[in-house]
Amino acid sequence: MSLLEVAAVDAGYGAQAVLRNLSITIEEGSFVALVGPNGHGKTTLLRTLSGLLHPTRGEIRLAGRRVDRLRADQIVAAGIIHVPQGDLLFPEMTVLENLRLGAYLPEAAAAAPHRLEEVYALLPKLQERRFQVASTLSGGERRMVGIGRGLMAGGRILMLDEPSLGLAPIIIDQIYEVIRALAASGRTILVVEENAMRIAEMADRMHLLDNGTISWSGGGAEFLSRPEILSAYLGG
Amino acid sequence: MDVVLQILVSGLTIGAMYAASTIGLALVYGALNMLNMAQGALLAFGGYVCMYVMDSLGLPAPLGLLAALVTGGVLGLAIYALVTRPMLGSANFETQIFIATIGVGSVLQSAVLHLFGPQPKAQPLQIPGGLTLGGVTLPWQNVLIMGVTALMLAGVAWLLGRTRAGLAIRATAQNRVAAQLMGIRIGRVYAQVLMLSGALAAVSGVMVSSLSGLLPTMGADPMLKAFVICVVAGLGNVPGAALAALVLGVLEAVIQYLFGVQYAFAILLALVIAVLIWRPYGLFGTRQVVRL
Amino acid sequence: MTPLRRDIAASIALVAAMAVVPLIFDTRYVITQLTVFFIWGIVVTQWNLVLGVAGIFSLAQMALFAVGAYGTAMLAYYGGMAMVPAMVIASLATVGVSLVIGFACLRLKGPYVALLTLAIAQMLYLIVVNDTGCFTNPPSGCLPLLGGVRGFSRFGDLGFRDLLGSKWFVGHYYVGLGLLLVAQVFCAFLIRGPLGLAFRALRDNPGYAMSRGVGRLKYQLWVFGLSAFFTGLAGAFYVAHFGVVGPIVFSVSMLLFLLAMIVVGGMGTVWGPLLGAAVLMIADEGLREVGDWREIGLGLVLAGFVILLPRGLVGLRRR
Repeated sequence: MSLLEVAAVDAGYGAQAVLRNLSITIEEGSFVALVGPNGHGKTTLLRTLSGLLHPTRGEIRLAGRRVDRLRADQIVAAGIIHVPQGDLLFPEMTVLENLRLGAYLPEAAAAAPHRLEEVYALLPKLQERRFQVASTLSGGERRMVGIGRGLMAGGRILMLDEPSLGLAPIIIDQIYEVIRALAASGRTILVVEENAMRIAEMADRMHLLDNGTISWSGGGAEFLSRPEILSAYLGG
Repeated sequence: MDVVLQILVSGLTIGAMYAASTIGLALVYGALNMLNMAQGALLAFGGYVCMYVMDSLGLPAPLGLLAALVTGGVLGLAIYALVTRPMLGSANFETQIFIATIGVGSVLQSAVLHLFGPQPKAQPLQIPGGLTLGGVTLPWQNVLIMGVTALMLAGVAWLLGRTRAGLAIRATAQNRVAAQLMGIRIGRVYAQVLMLSGALAAVSGVMVSSLSGLLPTMGADPMLKAFVICVVAGLGNVPGAALAALVLGVLEAVIQYLFGVQYAFAILLALVIAVLIWRPYGLFGTRQVVRL
Repeated sequence: MTPLRRDIAASIALVAAMAVVPLIFDTRYVITQLTVFFIWGIVVTQWNLVLGVAGIFSLAQMALFAVGAYGTAMLAYYGGMAMVPAMVIASLATVGVSLVIGFACLRLKGPYVALLTLAIAQMLYLIVVNDTGCFTNPPSGCLPLLGGVRGFSRFGDLGFRDLLGSKWFVGHYYVGLGLLLVAQVFCAFLIRGPLGLAFRALRDNPGYAMSRGVGRLKYQLWVFGLSAFFTGLAGAFYVAHFGVVGPIVFSVSMLLFLLAMIVVGGMGTVWGPLLGAAVLMIADEGLREVGDWREIGLGLVLAGFVILLPRGLVGLRRR
């Protein structure tokens, strides 16, 4: 049984379906990348997985349990953690308060002290900045808080929406180092990325999301070795 | 000098009354972008319930205050369940909920009228006498109002700053989507905030009516002032609202002394309008409030 | 036929049908109630433009109405001016006041506008009723500059009493009907015409419209000012019709009644407000016996429609 199974899902905003008959499975411990042109439903899929949207058709199962009718807070409790695009920090709170909110639910709160150590070890900048108010951080620091906040929740699968979006190249390198370390830790991770080449180097599995549905799936190495996929992607 | 102190005492009393109902409004707006126009009717409900418990049931004052608190909380919860919840996520939520709460306010105010009659009544929660210090008299009633308000403000500060529920409220106010992604059940936060705000309004209504008496329409003026204070502070800014309430209370007392009672509110409003033209997002507000 | 032409044709047809009414019923009560309907019809069609088309959440509508009403009464009472020029000058003054309010409010976001306009209306009300010093001393007793709680009366009329004798109210009926026709056609023009399109663009995509240089503030001021003209005119006609004006025009229940008309009919639509006005006035007539419960009923209607039928009665048909 796969950890996450998405079967024939339709979802969108109002009457307009963005995702159409989308199916995808994610194995426990794998590093999965979802790539594809903008506006084709990558973020919509993550929002649907985290319960901010509900599918109009199809099923989503986490470790065999149906989660597609649960509220967003119940899905967090079930173990799907979503680090949203644009960070969405709590702007008037300090870095530490933001991180603590990541461990809001009782189970995560119990594990918070040692997770905080882990987060600081992975992202030392956050420890330095822990008493700084989030709205005064730089873009790269904010991204780190967003990722750290997601890690505080624990959970079974971590979803990162465009972790390199809008950052300077040197900062992107730092964020990728963090992602590489996370991948090496054996967590289940789903990353949405615009920059397909770079993420393919570390992904166990790649999915190309095109016009609301998965148009190609394969290994990261396979993706890199088959230029026609890439050109179709760039052309699309 | 004595006059100055006297004005300060009455100004701070007025400000304290405003603060209690204003922070409720600010909390609700902060958490769910809802301007609750039924707040005035909740004030009246609180005042009348306290009067009923003390006069008709003959129970002591603390129970009257408690009954008002509970009634306000229950009404706040009812507003959440019957009005806010069905409208969450609808187009133009801010304007639509505003209109809906105008209707709710009208219903509640008429309910007060039907339950308790249109005649003015006195609020039995009174402490006669006062404390005379060097020529300045400090009526116990004012002390009571300031004390109760200080207690409520401290309670709210504790709740928001030190409790898990308060953390969830603050998180929801700062970013609703992110709060959900942290596992916060925002529907429950909304319900809690409306309950809290209703309870604060009801107690504030008891305080207001202990000075100016009970009338079914008694909530209209304090509500408008509370809104004005919220606007001056920047909508949704809770500590700013408490501070602005005290400042405007003192300002009102000064204007009353200088120009007479009948012009106080009009001059106050004129000042506020001027403030808003000068700083459209409120004195302590951030620019983000006037986004597209 | 374009929607605009259809709406104009419908307006003219409706007015033609209404024009026959006094020839059939000449009961004073019916004719007078219909005249009142015309007045509120003008007010709500214009308010609807502000709320539903320009997207300005203004609650100062009755304050503007009051400027037209008080302006006319004061020009006629103090200045001895004839009704018609007084009405026109007062309506223009209303535009002036609306532009001042507009400049103060329009840079603000929705709820700020609502609160600020409510505060302005309340301030005007307080200025009127708290003014207790005697400005003149007519035989009826001390009269403050702004009329105080009593307001103004005995300042002349439109002259139909001389022209039509005991049927003078029929004259008012036709004046009101004519004004409503103009206001409704203006409303249709705004909603269906290029200005309405610009507003829809602004509402649907503020960022895009702004980047294309659609000056939101400028358009909003135009709508606010033009609708204020008709609103002031409705106030002026109200004064001419009733021959009295007092602070009751500022009352919250009046504001509630008119807002409910728009919400019940359908905000932002061409015909919704008039439909709502008709429905609520008929309902109000029917509920006259249970007057005590009027406010509760009005409140329930307002909240109920917003919650259950946010697009109003007109929205039902389009669904």
